Amino acid sequence: MKFTVSTSALIKQVQIVSGVISNNTVIPILQDFLFELAGDRLTISASDLETSISSTITVNMEREGRVAIPSKIFNDIIKILAEQPITIEVEEQTLAVTIQTQNGIYKLAAESAEEFPPRQQMDGDDNIDLDLDVMTLAINKTLFAASNDELRPQMTGIYFDLEESKITFVATDAHKLVKFSHEITNGKSNSFIVPKKAMNLLKNALANAEGGENAKVNIGWGEKNVFFSFDGIKLDSRLIAGTYPDYNTVIPSNNPHLLTVDQADFQSAIKRISIFSSRSTYQVILDIQGEVLRLSAQDLDFSNEAHETMSCEYEGENMQIAFNARYLLELLNSVGSSQVHLKLSHPSRACLVVPANDNSSGELVMLVMPLMINT
Amino acid sequence: MDLDSFFVSCERRENPELNNIPLIIGGSSRRGVVASCSYEARYFGVRSAMPMRYALQLCPDAKVIKGDMELYSNCSHDVTEILAEEAPLMEKASIDEFYIDTTGLDRYFGCYKWTSELASRVMKETGLPISFGLSVNKTVAKIATGEGKPVGKLEVRPEKVRPFLDPLSIRKIPMLGKASYQTLARLGVRRIKTLAEMPAEMMQRLMGKNGLSLWKKANALDDSPIVPYSERKSISTERTFQKDSIDTKKLKAILTAMAEKVAYQLRSESRLCCVVTVKIRYSNFDTQTQQCRIPYTSCDHVIIEKAHELFDKLYKRRMLIRLIGIRLSGFVRGVHQIDLFDDTPKMIALYQALDQIKGRYGAMSVRRAVGI
Repeated sequence: MKFTVSTSALIKQVQIVSGVISNNTVIPILQDFLFELAGDRLTISASDLETSISSTITVNMEREGRVAIPSKIFNDIIKILAEQPITIEVEEQTLAVTIQTQNGIYKLAAESAEEFPPRQQMDGDDNIDLDLDVMTLAINKTLFAASNDELRPQMTGIYFDLEESKITFVATDAHKLVKFSHEITNGKSNSFIVPKKAMNLLKNALANAEGGENAKVNIGWGEKNVFFSFDGIKLDSRLIAGTYPDYNTVIPSNNPHLLTVDQADFQSAIKRISIFSSRSTYQVILDIQGEVLRLSAQDLDFSNEAHETMSCEYEGENMQIAFNARYLLELLNSVGSSQVHLKLSHPSRACLVVPANDNSSGELVMLVMPLMINT
Repeated sequence: MDLDSFFVSCERRENPELNNIPLIIGGSSRRGVVASCSYEARYFGVRSAMPMRYALQLCPDAKVIKGDMELYSNCSHDVTEILAEEAPLMEKASIDEFYIDTTGLDRYFGCYKWTSELASRVMKETGLPISFGLSVNKTVAKIATGEGKPVGKLEVRPEKVRPFLDPLSIRKIPMLGKASYQTLARLGVRRIKTLAEMPAEMMQRLMGKNGLSLWKKANALDDSPIVPYSERKSISTERTFQKDSIDTKKLKAILTAMAEKVAYQLRSESRLCCVVTVKIRYSNFDTQTQQCRIPYTSCDHVIIEKAHELFDKLYKRRMLIRLIGIRLSGFVRGVHQIDLFDDTPKMIALYQALDQIKGRYGAMSVRRAVGI
């Protein structure tokens, strides 16, 4: 294998795929990148058996080939090379890799590509095209809400709920939930759970992708896995088995009390107050009396205490309700609107957080469960 | 400072008829032990922690009262309030023991005078007799308090510490129990003087770390500070049966009731726990415990389920069980974060209603039927 490519183009691809490589791999070859050169197309892939990702670019080919190159050392050197064309040559017999720059030569040993595990085969041919911008938005809105709790594996991913005319993304950790839906025209009905790690990789790759008006992400799925492809990137991942909790039943439909606040003011107030809250529950109390919203927190262990008042618009019964400040902040961060509606019903029931002036391309519903305070 | 025969004094304050008669407080059943006894009963050789049957053999005429923990903790609270108000730095070591740091008071009042006045105020306002020992550190002060009882006022000045400690029995050293006493007595060490003069290394070889700390105490070396407030690390409850039992259904029911009780205590203090421990003692006094970590919680149903699971793991031998207990630990301050899927609004409402009733009418007012 021998080709010439600019460092900047290579760095971008390497960064996209290197995210999948974990520190303690099951088989040693998973620490490597797989380089495949055919024609002038170079494909770099990496895998952790659950998730695989590959990225294809155009290079200046001199000799075709397939080889596995250790990721750590390759990544480390590529990262700090100055912008310039470099030539990479691999001896097919000895598997010796030579990276030649303008004034340097770096050598390392590769491994045979044959040992690299083959990619998963798609076990179904269902697929849809989704706007790249919508996919990006959906991940950004939902990913933070997914759980890390290995005891409830279903919640450690993002749920894709597909219908004929709508696609819905859901993430929850049982304390907060985010649902983002977008209307589509050529949908198919199905649903599956994609692991958080794959979504993170996808988010990273999408950020590097060439966007544009008509850029699309192709999503294909089967019984056990899911495939995303766009802009030279192919990502496949095993799905999380099991049934996703029934999110629709827990989203309250009629929360009568409506609190409207300025997103920035509310967020910074909670940030200040939460510094004084208990380090274990981050409990902040919202005391809503007419047009006045009182925020308070205390940490009895350190005698810390904070109170703030801010003006708000409120239609409903006066109420005292407590939340984990971190959950509230996460939601407010993601709401993407200058005014926020908090829809409440009871101090021990879910609170809906929705953008007041929604101008994004989808429908966003977020909810957070309160803390049970003794009344 | 130490309240004299505290439980007895509390009972006598409530009921003056109990004055001047031998009085024993503790479980009256076959297996009860003496929790506290009056000086009249001590005359007959009754001591606390003695089996009740044995105590009644020594003093058949003694009146036995079942303890009323609520009364005692109220009394203790009254005393604590007075001390906290007066003392610059106060540590409550147990329900009836207090350490006060009087450093600095000597310049203005004289420590002895100040402490005497404080003791008088406690006795006048609460009606409970109190003793104090005034000395260079916590260990000597505690021994001095014990020596001065009842209604003792003892000051051991720095130069008097050695003459005070030397002739005393090593049994007077706090934390030196029966086993350590026997080990030392076999070596001929019976007086504090002898213990203090032993080489420290020898004590360490003999009894390990504990030996060294005893040696330090015997030499009146104790630099532990007065800690004003020590947070509770665990909540526990346990029960010894009238008759040993093998009925797992009954045992689990008792476990349920106990878990319910401690979980309520947890909630009423706005705490969450993350460790549940179950303890059983077989009829041959083999004691075994098992614990596990859980996500932070204060919910009855989670703790009960976990306790049953631990009990099943623990109870392996087909042997009668004498005692069963549960302990919650690993606390953080906080309240329950409601779960979207596991907690239904109905259940949350139930918890709130139950806790409201318990708050008003006492922890035992509403219980699961299985535990009654």
